Amino acid sequence: MTVVRTLTVNGNEYTVAVDPSDTLLDVLRDKLQLTGTKKGCNVGDCGACTVLVDGKPVNSCLVLAAGMEGRAVTTVEGLAEKGELSPLQKSFVHEGAIQCGFCTPGMVTTATALLENNPDPSDEEIKEALAGNMCRCTGYSGILRAVKRCGHHENHDGCTCNNETPEKSKHETVGVSIPRVDAADKVTGRALYTEDIALKNMVHGKILGSPIAHGRIKRIDVSKAVSLPGVLAVITGADVPDTMYGVSPPRYDEYVLAREKVRHVGDEVAAVAAVDEKTAERALSLITVEYEELPAVFDPHAAVADGAPQLHDRYENNINTVVDNRFGDTERGFRESHHVREETFVGNSVYQCPMEPHASIATWDHDGTLVLYTSTQVPHYVQYMMAHVLHIPLGKVRVIRPAVGGGFGGKAETSPLDLCSAILSRKIGRPVKMVYARAEMFHHGRGRHKQHMKFKLGVDRDGKIKAFTSEIHLDGGAYTSFGVATAYYAGSLMPSLYHIPNYDYKGYRVMTNKPACGAMRGHGVPQPRFAFECLLNMVADDLGLDPIEIRRRNAMTPNTLTVNDMDIGSCEFLATLESACSRSGWDEKYGKLPPGKGIGVGCGGFVSGAGYCIYRGQVQLSHEKPREPFQKKSVFPHANAVLKISEDGMAAVLMIGAAEIGQGSDTVLTQMCAEALGIPASRLRIRSEDSDISPLDLGAYSSRVTLMAGHAVSRAGAAVVDRMRPVAARMLDCSDSEVEARSARMFVKGDESRSVPWEEVARRYFNDNGPLVGTGCYKPPDGLGGDHKGATVGTSPAYSFGTSVCEITVDLDTGKVDIEQFTDYHDCGTPINPRAVHGQVEGAIVMGASETLLEDVQYDERGRILNPDLHGYAMMTIKDAPEIFSGIVDSYEPRGPYGAKEIGEGSTLPVLGAVAHAIASATGVWVKDLPITPEKILNALKNREAATGEKRYRDCCGEQGA
Amino acid sequence: MYIPDIELHEAGTLKQAASLMAQHGPDARWLAGGTDVLVDLKTGRVSTSHLISLNRIECLHGISETDEGLRIGALTTITELGRSSLVSEKYSPILDAALQMAAQQVRNMATAGGNITSAVPCADLPPILKALGASVTLWSMEGERRVPLDTFFTGPRQTLRRSDEVLTAIHIPEMPQGFGAAYARFAQRNGNAIAVAGVAASLLLDGDGTGGGTVQKARVVLNAVAPTPKHVPEAEAALAGKKPDAESVQAAAGAARAAAEPITDVRGTAEFRRDLVEALTRRALWSAYKRAKESTA
Repeated sequence: MTVVRTLTVNGNEYTVAVDPSDTLLDVLRDKLQLTGTKKGCNVGDCGACTVLVDGKPVNSCLVLAAGMEGRAVTTVEGLAEKGELSPLQKSFVHEGAIQCGFCTPGMVTTATALLENNPDPSDEEIKEALAGNMCRCTGYSGILRAVKRCGHHENHDGCTCNNETPEKSKHETVGVSIPRVDAADKVTGRALYTEDIALKNMVHGKILGSPIAHGRIKRIDVSKAVSLPGVLAVITGADVPDTMYGVSPPRYDEYVLAREKVRHVGDEVAAVAAVDEKTAERALSLITVEYEELPAVFDPHAAVADGAPQLHDRYENNINTVVDNRFGDTERGFRESHHVREETFVGNSVYQCPMEPHASIATWDHDGTLVLYTSTQVPHYVQYMMAHVLHIPLGKVRVIRPAVGGGFGGKAETSPLDLCSAILSRKIGRPVKMVYARAEMFHHGRGRHKQHMKFKLGVDRDGKIKAFTSEIHLDGGAYTSFGVATAYYAGSLMPSLYHIPNYDYKGYRVMTNKPACGAMRGHGVPQPRFAFECLLNMVADDLGLDPIEIRRRNAMTPNTLTVNDMDIGSCEFLATLESACSRSGWDEKYGKLPPGKGIGVGCGGFVSGAGYCIYRGQVQLSHEKPREPFQKKSVFPHANAVLKISEDGMAAVLMIGAAEIGQGSDTVLTQMCAEALGIPASRLRIRSEDSDISPLDLGAYSSRVTLMAGHAVSRAGAAVVDRMRPVAARMLDCSDSEVEARSARMFVKGDESRSVPWEEVARRYFNDNGPLVGTGCYKPPDGLGGDHKGATVGTSPAYSFGTSVCEITVDLDTGKVDIEQFTDYHDCGTPINPRAVHGQVEGAIVMGASETLLEDVQYDERGRILNPDLHGYAMMTIKDAPEIFSGIVDSYEPRGPYGAKEIGEGSTLPVLGAVAHAIASATGVWVKDLPITPEKILNALKNREAATGEKRYRDCCGEQGA
Repeated sequence: MYIPDIELHEAGTLKQAASLMAQHGPDARWLAGGTDVLVDLKTGRVSTSHLISLNRIECLHGISETDEGLRIGALTTITELGRSSLVSEKYSPILDAALQMAAQQVRNMATAGGNITSAVPCADLPPILKALGASVTLWSMEGERRVPLDTFFTGPRQTLRRSDEVLTAIHIPEMPQGFGAAYARFAQRNGNAIAVAGVAASLLLDGDGTGGGTVQKARVVLNAVAPTPKHVPEAEAALAGKKPDAESVQAAAGAARAAAEPITDVRGTAEFRRDLVEALTRRALWSAYKRAKESTA
């Protein structure tokens, strides 16, 4: 029964009708349109919904709105006064405390309350206050800095971090740490994420997932659901196109809704549209599905055994992808080795857990154009796949990507929400919004593949690598998704870091009755890189070599074609190694710390954009198109920009479909374009969110945006300047080729006193010629990669490199690991925005450390996820995050725009190995399966105790107590 | 993930609360901080049609000193408990639990009474309160009764409280000279964490510490490793009459390990929890011993 309540929010009184079951969060968002407060988990785990009640931070998802009369509620919208950011909000902007921005409103609201009561808090007090606010992007470093600085009442622009950046930018806008272009919107709660958008006449949809891991659908009865008041449509497999979809073109194996079989718990079976989400949820519970349950298989080794349950007819023995790559002669390499060591490692099931749940809103224009708002990293691939499944031309699909609250690979493919919302919307003629609950995200899956790795490494007397073989079983889950590429990536990037003359890689991606795995930050590589780094450290120990020294002797060098035909250009790997070594005090610490204290090293790097598009051939209506033969070149440009100058010359609108997902691409693209134009970044506005406005860019995956989209926007900028040249030349009385643009002026090369305002030239251009526009595009170089099967995977115009040193304490009594310090140096080419680079590193270190120590999706014996939430699936909080020093080494990549390469994914790769090594050095035992939990550490210590009779170190409380 | 249709009733007095409960009977539940019950309603763990909010009942709030010791109003939030100067000056072992529990947003809503009556096996307050010898008052129209926490918990999420009774207050006896207590817990991460295992211990030393400081009475209570917060008389016996030393503390830790009845779940296996119980018992005892000696200084 609805009740009327007067709520006081941000000092305003609102008299609203609320249902007694409504939470404060839902009333704020849905009734008062205060969507700055975010719904991240809905059960009080994440803190994204934090508001102040009578000045105290609470989770508004756990407060009943009807009980709030007479209490003062403050939301993020109440923090800025008349549009002027509060000092704390300004600190957030300047300290790089904001990336995807989804946690930001809750974070800044909680911190506001802290500073109100404690104007100068210590680090410990800040961490305690913010421990209930989860962030997946920043590693908490910038957030801590922002609150600290505000507490110290320091008002200045720029960042207070002690991170290190080479000082040599010869540019005006590139190489400068400008604040993010979307920072103010995100810190005030103005930024709109998909779930924050409400279209007129919009309704809500939900998807019914399978409760069993494997079975045949015998009968579905939707009659009760259909007759529930408020339900507008119910669809099942019979109502969706008979077209399969997926990511890897040879292996499209998913239906929008299951047609005969379900293959994992959560596999999509039916979908409902109703007047509100609560009714849609209730309708799901009224759908009866009769299953014939089939035996299921959850382990990849069991799945390939004879007689194992088969998931798909087309994948014999459940083997989805086989890789068998041989480079050089490993047999001879091992024969010539002085020392050979073989070890087995096991990874974990890691889920991206972006703070923003997936969301889609679909609506159809009267001309048959689908308009899809979606929380995605890859608007173009979504557009392509919607056209494919719905059998409409790609041009009839308009994809709008609002602000995205993180992806990390989890939003790199077309989601069932995209497809179901479009189909439901077409059926009922109204906009349909669909949002995943946190548990549904886990059940949809697409997290990191758990890999079982058997590695063998042979080295000569000096520790130089002679041969390396790798055999990996990847637990793929029930569908292919990105899996073919994952299986190849797991092998192809191993020789990019060290000179490996002989290398064999066997990979098997295996289907199991679990949610499909996909691409996650570092796609396929972090677990093999962890294993390789551990093995290299073991071999160094065997030889009595320092782990840094063995890396020095094998480190990749510039301009190398690797044994598997990866074309390495710039490479300052050695510089990252030496810098990390000296900055961390490695030589004074390694092997010299007391028991329980450890230091470890790990290295890694990644591609700066995939060399090839995921699908082959032209951009065209894809479901009808014949398979095109592979060509060893890009068919169309992977990144495209249009630049339009306003008629008065005072603003430039940059249009490019590159997906800002929190990583900062809008900002660095703005910077590169501004640099090319010769005007300040503040004169640019970037429009990257709408496929009707912005030309095709393949999206935010494979760390491709800075390099590829960066080229496109710089070229568009240069094209505009080229058009302005003749006009400027006439005004300056010089030749076209003598005209240069900088600092918002155009001048004669070599004589800056002869200059005219940039906008004056633009205005004249418009007067004489009409619109001043320029375009730019980028195709990766032709011919990348070798000719072996799968040779395209791992190709890239450029590669990043990095070294991390990790320092930890292990509690030898409980096995608990505290990560204290990370020292990281990276070769990301020449940074476009150093603070954004450091932000990626800080975030990657905490995410990587968290997955090394804590994270694992766990299943019961029937394939049900045991921890599909943010308290069972443990991620690091601000109290767990280490101190981080991030350094960028001097580097220039000729194939990158302004010398730049990637940072986002490469920064994850050194982390896992460094943590594992630090634990081994603190305890004397290696744990070779992830996550490295306290329990595994204790068991390893106990085993050693049993084997050697040597007593484990005991806690010192006895001494102190007595 | 929505709360099913409910009616919310806000009681201003205990009598109002009782009459609302009498009216709606078995289909009603008390609402205090809501951090457990609202999650349970969203996830379908419990269902109810009526929530009777106790939040506006004045007498359930506040922390005060009484003849016997400390009275904590059931609706005292965990934050209020953690910030109380009375608690930090005279009953500081409670802080071991109150300051570590969940995260600020939850501590600002969750109540001491709720943490006890929910009787979730990993709740942090019950073990330390048991070690301090606490009891609770249960109020109904039929009258009040006082129940020691030692007998209050009957199973996971089950207690002696009848559904019409309100837990109104928690009572902690004054801590005498020579008494010390502590709560040690282990969680997967440092912030916003749930206890994987915990041990609360208290020691009462002989005389004023001059009598050699032998243990007159010990209490060891295990958390998150049994259906309810579990006393370990064997551990207590291992210490009684002795001066705590490495040997007696280890004997108590071994007894605690043997007494634990842990389960395996996403946060750890039963075997690991036994390891933790052993280590945490040592920690809690050493810390309690240190505090007991300090109390006589």
